[in-house]
Amino acid sequence: MFGGLREKLQAARNKLGSSIQAVVKPAEAPGPQEDTKTPPVPVSSGPAESSVPVMEPGEGQATGEPKKIRFVDKVKTLIIDRELIVSEKDVADALSDLEMTLLESDVALPATDAIIANVRKNLVGKHRKLGESVDALVVNALKTALLEVLGNGFDLSAYIRDHNKPVKILFTGVNGTGKTTTVAKIGYYLKNQGFSVVIGAGDTYRAGAIEQIGVHAERLGIKIIQHQEGADPSAVLFDTVQYAGSHKIDVVLADTAGRFHNKANLMNQLDKIKRVMKPDLVIYVDEAVAGNDAVTRAFEFDKTVGADAVVLTKADMDSRGGAAISIAHTIGKPLMFLGVGQAYDDIMPFEPAVVVDELLDGGS
Amino acid sequence: MLDNLSSSLKDAMKKLAGKTVVDRAAVDELVKDLQRALLSADVNVKLVMELSKAVRTRSLEEEPPKGMNVREHVLRIVYQELVRLVWASTDVKLEPQTILMAGLQGSGKTTTTAKLARYFQKKGMKVGVICADTFRPGAYDQISTLCSKIHVPCFGNPKEKDAIKITREGLEALKEQELIIVDTQGRHALEADLIQEIIDLNNLTKATHRWLVIDAALGQQASEQARRFHDAIGIDGVIITKMDGTAKGGGAMSAVAETKSGIAFIGSGETVEALERFDPDGFISRLLGMGDLKALLEKANEALKPEDVDVNAMMKGKFTLRDMYKQLEALNKMGPLKQIMGMLPLGNMQLPEGVYDVTSTKMVRYRIIMDSMTPGELDDPALINSSRMQRIAHGAGATPDEVRELLKYYKMMQRTLKGLRGAGGGKFNMQRLMKRFSGMQ
Repeated sequence: MFGGLREKLQAARNKLGSSIQAVVKPAEAPGPQEDTKTPPVPVSSGPAESSVPVMEPGEGQATGEPKKIRFVDKVKTLIIDRELIVSEKDVADALSDLEMTLLESDVALPATDAIIANVRKNLVGKHRKLGESVDALVVNALKTALLEVLGNGFDLSAYIRDHNKPVKILFTGVNGTGKTTTVAKIGYYLKNQGFSVVIGAGDTYRAGAIEQIGVHAERLGIKIIQHQEGADPSAVLFDTVQYAGSHKIDVVLADTAGRFHNKANLMNQLDKIKRVMKPDLVIYVDEAVAGNDAVTRAFEFDKTVGADAVVLTKADMDSRGGAAISIAHTIGKPLMFLGVGQAYDDIMPFEPAVVVDELLDGGS
Repeated sequence: MLDNLSSSLKDAMKKLAGKTVVDRAAVDELVKDLQRALLSADVNVKLVMELSKAVRTRSLEEEPPKGMNVREHVLRIVYQELVRLVWASTDVKLEPQTILMAGLQGSGKTTTTAKLARYFQKKGMKVGVICADTFRPGAYDQISTLCSKIHVPCFGNPKEKDAIKITREGLEALKEQELIIVDTQGRHALEADLIQEIIDLNNLTKATHRWLVIDAALGQQASEQARRFHDAIGIDGVIITKMDGTAKGGGAMSAVAETKSGIAFIGSGETVEALERFDPDGFISRLLGMGDLKALLEKANEALKPEDVDVNAMMKGKFTLRDMYKQLEALNKMGPLKQIMGMLPLGNMQLPEGVYDVTSTKMVRYRIIMDSMTPGELDDPALINSSRMQRIAHGAGATPDEVRELLKYYKMMQRTLKGLRGAGGGKFNMQRLMKRFSGMQ
């Protein structure tokens, strides 16, 4: 994912760069390109060319020299102190382009507003020294803004190593985001890291859910605790924790049924699950293709049952990754993994710094 | 469900209220608000730009029809342009046919398949389902469990990995059925072999309809994914799922625009009954906060006898415990109060949250309590004093506190409905506007 966003950001960055450059141009003139200031002198060189003065300086240089220096000096003193400050007006156009870019990439409206405000704050009023490149200025502003939103990643293996076993991890999220598949993938990932894992089949509601997680567990050779359809999920997960305790298992992965944040009784049930199994980590699972609703539901879930980290699934669907930014901005919790396909190893740890660097530097 | 979008739109509209002439600044402001509202509802960015441009040009250039004020004029243009986006209504005929389900992973195809089967079954058709999802573990268990609950034959084979083979066998096995729904595995447009699979399935089944299932929360990806599915198999209808969440379904709107098709159904709940026919007109009306009486009526006709819920009496403020009892009784058939209320033309009225905060288990308790009331008490709840309360509680196996709670809930409902009546007669008369719109198309 992020491929689309990267392209767009590159374009936005060029635009921001050039609009700042345009402001700064007169100031740069005294430096290496002083000839651009000559047009007033050699107008006579050809009537046809008068509309494209930039082409002329070459021939006009010799005759206009003495006059030009005075002119340039004037410009220098006049401009250096003032024009090098980037003003709000200079970046307004480019920022509204950037805004569209972010919106097109599924970054939710509130998150977009926050990022734009941040970039503006970082750019406007900045004194730019002659030597410093415009590009660096823009890239830094964007980078700061994105990193601020994305925060730090989350190293699950390190967390498990540092905490008392069993580490209990509860997965939550709305319907159809891929919780069950994610539980299987993370189970596989942790097993490969050398941890012992047990899965609790806490989705006792949806038809076929117990069978689904059961098949995954069997394929991966992971122990699974399950009751029958319609059982109390708290009981299933309590049993799973008991099992892990008595069998010295490192990690408990607790799957739950998908639920909407606006269903009070289902959220209460989740709250009960939390009271009963006392998870060390609550992981909120959402899909990378979600639009603005990602913000609403992440907020509600975080408010009701809390969230310590986020897993974003379906990141292989050519999405622009805006949901990552929206969710991170809304609840300020780290992104832990990205799900990038249907196979068990299609999961990758999320490292914000790398992603942001790639977004802004990659491909340029 | 479309609360946020419609409330921001309403805010935008309100700003136009005091104006007497269409001035550029006011329209620009409205267009900007409209853009933000649609963008935050996940409508495709390009679509939003086109739409807002059209609204702007038309608002400024077209002469408001006689007798229509500026706000109504602009409102009408916004409405018409929005309707144009979702205009084509998908024709759902009750005749022998095959329906192929397509969609991204986790969009709700399997659940929707069961809901559709139930829908057509209720309309009196013989329905069969083929499970062509050979990838996701438990997929067959899921659909066969759902189908057996509604007594619809379901063909599938969890051991078989070849979707084409299963479907061929399924078509043979279910040839007695009039209508066959083929549930497929979730796929996205970049998975070339899966796209090829669905093309093959389409050729094999010669499907009458190819419906794309879209999660209401799907963002800007909707257009692109819809376009690719459309290129592959020619989508002729869209089903929006998970409309019971807070997502606004703008992605589905983009998908419809992309495939030049219509929205066939809306899924809004986890039970097999939670499926409604989509009515573009009503969808937009609801979007603009004008209520959707048409959908309410269609739903009511299907599920209820006329005496079940007398909406008119409710609107007049004559609301007794008896009405509440009927409403609770109708709950299973018609969906929760919030859904019903969402379809009434409430305009800018905000209902107190508490009204909806009654869980279904509590509703059942309430009904039991009301069962031990006398007809007199049901008609005039003021009769209920503490000794009557004791008797009712005793008869229902409840505590007097529960009876009191029920009465409190009743009073809240009554107050709310009285408030509604007031809003309807206010200066922004919804009914009048609705009438106007229905005359316009």
